[in-house]
Amino acid sequence: MSGVRERNASAWLLPAEGSRSDHRLRDDMRRFDDSDEVDLAIVGCGAGGGTLLQRLARRGWRVVALDAGPFWDPEADWVSDEGGSHHLYWTEPRVISGSDPVPLGSNNSGRGVGGSMVHFAGYTPRFHPSDFRTWTNDGVGADWPISYDDLRPYYRDIEEELPVAGDYWPWGDPHGYPQRPHPVGGNGEVFLRGALKLGILAKVGPVGISNGRFGNRAHCIYRGFCLQGCKVNAKASPLITHVPDALAHGAEVRPNSMVTRIHIDERSGRATGVEYVRGGISHVQRARAVAVAGYSIETPRLLLLSTSRRFPAGLCNDFDLVGRYLMVQGAPQTAGRFPAEIRMYKAPPPEVSSEQFYETDPAKPYKRGFSVQTVSPLPITWAEHVCAQGYWGQALRAYLRDYVHWTCTGALCEFLPQPENRVTLSDERDRNGLRVAHFAYSQCDNDRQLMAAAQDVMERLQRAAGAEEVITIKRYAHLVGGARMAADERHGVVDADGRAFAVPNLYITDGSILPTQGSANPALTIMALAARIADRMADHARAG
Amino acid sequence: MSEADATPGRSRNERFPGFNVLAQTGAWDDVTVGVVMKRIGMPPDVRFFTPTEEAAARALFDQLLDQREEPRVPIVNMVDARLAEQETDGWHYDDMPEDGQVWRDTLAALDADAMAAHALPFAACGRREQAALLQSILSLGSGAWHGLNAERVWSLWTRYACTAFYSHPWAWNEIGFPGPAYPRGYKHAGVNAREPFEVRDRRPDDDPAARRR
Ligand SMILES: Cc1cc2nc3c(=O)[nH]c(=O)nc-3n(C[C@H](O)[C@H](O)[C@H](O)COP(=O)(O)OP(=O)(O)OC[C@H]3O[C@@H](n4cnc5c(N)ncnc54)[C@H](O)[C@@H]3O)c2cc1C
Ligand code: SF4
Repeated sequence: MSGVRERNASAWLLPAEGSRSDHRLRDDMRRFDDSDEVDLAIVGCGAGGGTLLQRLARRGWRVVALDAGPFWDPEADWVSDEGGSHHLYWTEPRVISGSDPVPLGSNNSGRGVGGSMVHFAGYTPRFHPSDFRTWTNDGVGADWPISYDDLRPYYRDIEEELPVAGDYWPWGDPHGYPQRPHPVGGNGEVFLRGALKLGILAKVGPVGISNGRFGNRAHCIYRGFCLQGCKVNAKASPLITHVPDALAHGAEVRPNSMVTRIHIDERSGRATGVEYVRGGISHVQRARAVAVAGYSIETPRLLLLSTSRRFPAGLCNDFDLVGRYLMVQGAPQTAGRFPAEIRMYKAPPPEVSSEQFYETDPAKPYKRGFSVQTVSPLPITWAEHVCAQGYWGQALRAYLRDYVHWTCTGALCEFLPQPENRVTLSDERDRNGLRVAHFAYSQCDNDRQLMAAAQDVMERLQRAAGAEEVITIKRYAHLVGGARMAADERHGVVDADGRAFAVPNLYITDGSILPTQGSANPALTIMALAARIADRMADHARAG
Repeated sequence: MSEADATPGRSRNERFPGFNVLAQTGAWDDVTVGVVMKRIGMPPDVRFFTPTEEAAARALFDQLLDQREEPRVPIVNMVDARLAEQETDGWHYDDMPEDGQVWRDTLAALDADAMAAHALPFAACGRREQAALLQSILSLGSGAWHGLNAERVWSLWTRYACTAFYSHPWAWNEIGFPGPAYPRGYKHAGVNAREPFEVRDRRPDDDPAARRR
């Protein structure tokens, strides 16, 4: 991994001891004026935005990332506590509907520098080559305008930068990981045991959690609070994996800055900058190009809010595609009761996974598949699992007192992209007076069949491992899509390089551009895509 | 040990006798100590609920979490504080108002049902009557209850109730969960492995499911 530091020195720029934050770098950070025409203004500093920022700062661009949330200091702002971590979530008002509405909040999106990866679990699998051509292969979903091979080198780079720990990966495009797998806790042990009994191949990892010291980042202490933000700096998020290096290369991160509109020159049709609210005051940052990376709900919302004479129905929305084909993964969760003590709260929740059921199985009535992974709910989330069975009062308390005996596995089912699953604008307004996002979601038949199949596998796995009782709840995870990439403007909002078909200097570089989602967790793919887009942008600019 | 068990209602901690996460605060980081210890101190005054709503909410939470004795985990105050500060998850169903209004509407609906059935507000009904009323709402599934989807109401009630209850160290004691774990972390993960400060479950056969089998 000798090349990592030369490519991205973030882990070495963090302080070695004591404080976990690069205060010096932040104090000395370059600060642009609103009237400076920066090369690129990025909306959102999460998985996609943070990676893009670092890559282009390295290429000498004058870049600023504006994020609606704070510039986190893990030591001061995060707690080792489930109930006290509410401030990590995006909790601005949103409306949900459809036949299978998807609850948002804690389970779905983050805020602040680092984005949702601040409280993501930490799984970092790649997509499979088949994900890029589900339409050609199976007649469902959509083909991507790029192939797996286009992303492969970027996957490898990002895996080194996070860094990723895990077993050799036999699925998809088989590959190894830069770090050895972590030791597993009780939940992982049971998963491996059940899988072995059933003849299901299971592997440890892959997680963006350093196994050992990495630069000045400390070793994981197996405390299990990954979804509450890693105070240790062991788990990856752009806050520690990409932002430090970006700052060291002259980028600016402007926190607490909510972008409310993208400005367009009516004559040329080009983006000229972004309007944002900071401390109650409205500003406009001028920019030669704009990239939007605000997550699958806020990205389409911002485009829809940015109306103009040229784009009366919202920016880049000439073909009514903005906000459409939004996807969530079906994420049923099966818990199993064991006589032994499992204490699943110890060790990171992401431990072991299987992608054996990822691909289309011709013997099955449904297309595409699902993956199965350990998840380890802390008590509040575990209580939700129990309540969903209809237990309350005495029974609820009794189930919770039994917490140390339970394991939990979760599946990620590849729900298919559908045009009516979309973000539109509600008539409700937020405190800035802006219309809030309305997110409608309904499952199709294939989705429901996948959920049932995944539940069956998980329940068999738990029982094979010795579970005396299993209980399954239905959940969702991971929103992607909403401004997808495609070969042409009639099928997508951006092209293979993340560039909007309708506005030549506007890019979208977050999970919104995914045409399909596979049954892999999306963060690594989002980062790899952003890194690739950065290369294309820089090459293009040099050539132009 | 029973007197000293720091559990909701000071009930005997049958499964994890003597386990007290608050004895471990020395191993926690300061920021987390601050957040958790606030839950132990005097609860904030009720500001959001009207007195009538407060009474119904208190009875509802006692039922949902089976709290019968003082000292209770002060769920009403904890939920009220969240609503007063608009510390919600932000989202709401398009066929339901935002959380605060749902709370007001559903507590009024509980009282209305209780009045209709027993000519008493919900809080004044006996425990058994209250429980039966709640069970009847749960049994509606996704059917309508006072114009709202019963399942969504139930899920909102239990979500708020459990978020408060299971953030409280007394509740952690009775479930054997050590709470905050930074900067110490865990050194003994794995089946049947324990840290020196964790207490073994004395009733591993107390499987709530077994009783139903
Ligand atoms: C509980 C949970 C667990 C997860 N676990 C995993 C996992 O194990 N593995 C995995 O791969 N993925 C996981 N994910 C998903 C993963 O975190 C996201 O898919 C990924 O971070 C999305 O990247 P993004 O760039 O699209 O958006 P984000 O990373 O969310 O970044 C968006 C950023 O934009 C900012 N923003 C939004 N709107 C505006 C605006 N108008 N102005 C300024 N800033 C704005 C937000 O504050 C945010 O910081 C998990 C997510 C959650 C919530
Ligand atoms: S378990 Fe490891 S990666 Fe997860 S929050 Fe704790 S130290 Fe960080």
